[in-house]
Amino acid sequence: MDRHLSATLKRAQEPLALGAVGSMLIVAALLPFVFLVVNLVRAPAELSAGLALLGSREPWFVFLRSVGSALVVALASMLVGMPLGLLLGCTDVRGRKAALILHVFPVFLPPFLLALGWFHLFGRSGLWGGSEWTSGALFSLGGSVAVEALAFAPVVTSLVALALQGIDPSLVEAARVTARPGRVATRILLPLAWPAAALGGLVVFALSLSELGVPMFLRVRSYSAAVFARLGAVQYAPGEALVLTLPMLLISIALLVLERRLVGPRSFSVLGLRSTGKTVLPLGSWRPIGTLVAWAGALATLFPFVGLAWRASTGTAAVQDWIGSGVQNSIVPAAIAATLLSGMAVVLGRAIALRRAGAKALDALTVLAFVTPAAVLGVGLIGVWNRSGTQPIYGTLAIIVIGFVARYAVLPTRTFALAVARASPHFEESAAVEGAWFLRRLVRIVVPLHAGAIVAAWLLAFVFCLRDLETTILFYPAGSAPLTVRIITLEANGPEPVVAALALVHTSIVAAALVLGALAFRPRRRA
Amino acid sequence: MKVPLKLAALTIAVCASFACKRTQREVVVYTSVDQPFAEPIFREFEKRSGIQVRAVFDTEETKSTGVLNRLIAEAQRPQADVFWSGDPVRPFVLAKRGLLEPYASAAAASIPAQFKSADGLWTGAAARAKILLVNTRRVAPPDMPQSILDLANPRWKAQAAIANPVFGTTTMYVAALFTVWGDDRAKAFLEQIKANGTRIASSNGEVRRLVAAGEVAFGLTDTDDAHEALQDKAPVQVVYPDQGDLGTLVMPNAVVLIKGGPHPAEARALVDHLVSPEVEKRMTETAGHIPLRRDLAGTPGPGPFRTMQVDYARMADEIGKIEPWLRQWTGI
Repeated sequence: MDRHLSATLKRAQEPLALGAVGSMLIVAALLPFVFLVVNLVRAPAELSAGLALLGSREPWFVFLRSVGSALVVALASMLVGMPLGLLLGCTDVRGRKAALILHVFPVFLPPFLLALGWFHLFGRSGLWGGSEWTSGALFSLGGSVAVEALAFAPVVTSLVALALQGIDPSLVEAARVTARPGRVATRILLPLAWPAAALGGLVVFALSLSELGVPMFLRVRSYSAAVFARLGAVQYAPGEALVLTLPMLLISIALLVLERRLVGPRSFSVLGLRSTGKTVLPLGSWRPIGTLVAWAGALATLFPFVGLAWRASTGTAAVQDWIGSGVQNSIVPAAIAATLLSGMAVVLGRAIALRRAGAKALDALTVLAFVTPAAVLGVGLIGVWNRSGTQPIYGTLAIIVIGFVARYAVLPTRTFALAVARASPHFEESAAVEGAWFLRRLVRIVVPLHAGAIVAAWLLAFVFCLRDLETTILFYPAGSAPLTVRIITLEANGPEPVVAALALVHTSIVAAALVLGALAFRPRRRA
Repeated sequence: MKVPLKLAALTIAVCASFACKRTQREVVVYTSVDQPFAEPIFREFEKRSGIQVRAVFDTEETKSTGVLNRLIAEAQRPQADVFWSGDPVRPFVLAKRGLLEPYASAAAASIPAQFKSADGLWTGAAARAKILLVNTRRVAPPDMPQSILDLANPRWKAQAAIANPVFGTTTMYVAALFTVWGDDRAKAFLEQIKANGTRIASSNGEVRRLVAAGEVAFGLTDTDDAHEALQDKAPVQVVYPDQGDLGTLVMPNAVVLIKGGPHPAEARALVDHLVSPEVEKRMTETAGHIPLRRDLAGTPGPGPFRTMQVDYARMADEIGKIEPWLRQWTGI
């Protein structure tokens, strides 16, 4: 009997583990929305007010405008990211690794910091501005689109580069016998990288549609800012805000379906199948031009830091007075959330890659939580966790951790799923044949085999938690404002050099985290 | 395998320090007063009293309403002890919901009666005024606008700015216009402003930035924003509008005690501090505020000006009524 029970329990290990991770996700991400929906049903006045608002022309105008600008941002990012990904991913341009790292770095920062940097360059009192034209161009829809496109283009670049680094070099070598580099690039490499580029485009579209900081800073009307505003107006109506998010939820679902139809089945198999990092496409006489284009593109995304550094040059001395405990409040919850998330990613990412039952639904939940306006999630989290029995959570940084788990689960999960999909399943299968149950296989095979992917997942989750603004701003515990929140609350009225200096402190923390991550990935020399 | 283990160990260590409980006396304050001015006052209170202040500040874009709504969202289980509002109207929203605890601080005895409630629900302390900030490089002194009606004047087409009236003190100003002028005239005026190409900035701070940078000729903003622009030596000048008839709106900061807050004794100590003459003087000196106490002689501040005659409680009611129309006016 005992043996039978033990065997049953062992067989149940995998569904139980997936169930545990699923429960955590449901509590963190789904429960807040359920809370809001239940409250909405209980308050029919808010529901009808929200529906009446959706029945009018104005919200749809703002919504379509936001969708349109997100589309342009996505297309512009692809336009920049695809050729750069090609040049930096698999050609012999000089210093391509360094250029790729520098180009990708800004994607790990809150986009409003980059907007702040552009403002210090092209604003009326900016380093390179001083004219009404540059300032007017920046504070316009076009300016907002350009800032976001440059901020998000590295998403496409890195995915395309990763995909190209994984292709079979023999394919290109064969083509190179008769074709020039340009023809090989357009006929072989770019079609192969298309799923990665399309995935990048979808990610950028989602990021742009839910972006809050850039349109708010550049005074451009956007739908996500309108939803946030509905939570900030005098008549507190979270139900109305929830109704207003319905069009965004529909877009999110459409994106999810599109991702699965367009690139889903291929994304795991194409993205970085075998990341050799070798040059497969020598540019020959085009190498100097290729190098110039690659570095120009890479450095363009770094210009905002010039603006920030210039403005911060007189404010560094006062940073100590204004930084408070912002650094600690950023790092501690981000580190805890990243650890929890990467642990969850090992179970869920593996289940997604191996197409286990229920994994698809949980994957969809993580995607929807990522693209839904964070302000709505924030109000739901307050409703769920601000209760007498949950004060040790709501009154501490733990509530920030829960917010991060809800919002960013998709990133480490997809990273780990990618790693598992790339690897051979035979190791686990052999172990299973030998009688190793799920947990044993997980600890002895999956984790050691994918240690690098776990570190990558942790790092990705950590830097995205660090860059977060919109999730935590609604419910961070009093006196525990993360650095990004401190920057935004000081931004309007604080001394500009100090705010710029704080932005650079944040940049330095992210850079340090990435350098440490890179060191963890460093190939070890054998004695 | 080693790296993930190290990461896990590091995180456990971090968790352990994170789990450390607070033992010090503390008070929680939510405030829509600008962080650069409020935070030094909290630090000063900490030094004097030994009570740690844990604060939540508003963003400029949702000024006065972000933390207000957080207070409402947390009403079932209040987290805050004190709300230090940047205007006297928002506390009425909390009062209507029964979220305030009356407390008439002895430190506020010398504050005039019109700037505090008789039942101790709110106490005013230092004020701001709604002014026109004019860029002196774009507008010569004789041509300077003198009235808010200039926002709708074709002469200033696309050359002026106001903050989004759904948030901050601009809501209050618009509500004041509705109470003084009536709905029809106020609505018509706002439509004219829009038709005149007046920029709707995200906040008063943005209005200051636009004017200081010369992107617009003038804008409607608050004295504290004007003070900052002057501190930065921006080419700007303050005009107290409508001195002939309507008058300039004065908006005292308001301090209120939250009912059921977790630290009632510490909260009273903080309220005493925030409404004290020292803090009022400091807000006047550092934040461009106007002292409410008549006995703060010698405090730098604006000279005498004609003030708009308004009833803050009535304005609070008006805000509730006009908000749906204002959202429609601003676009959503």
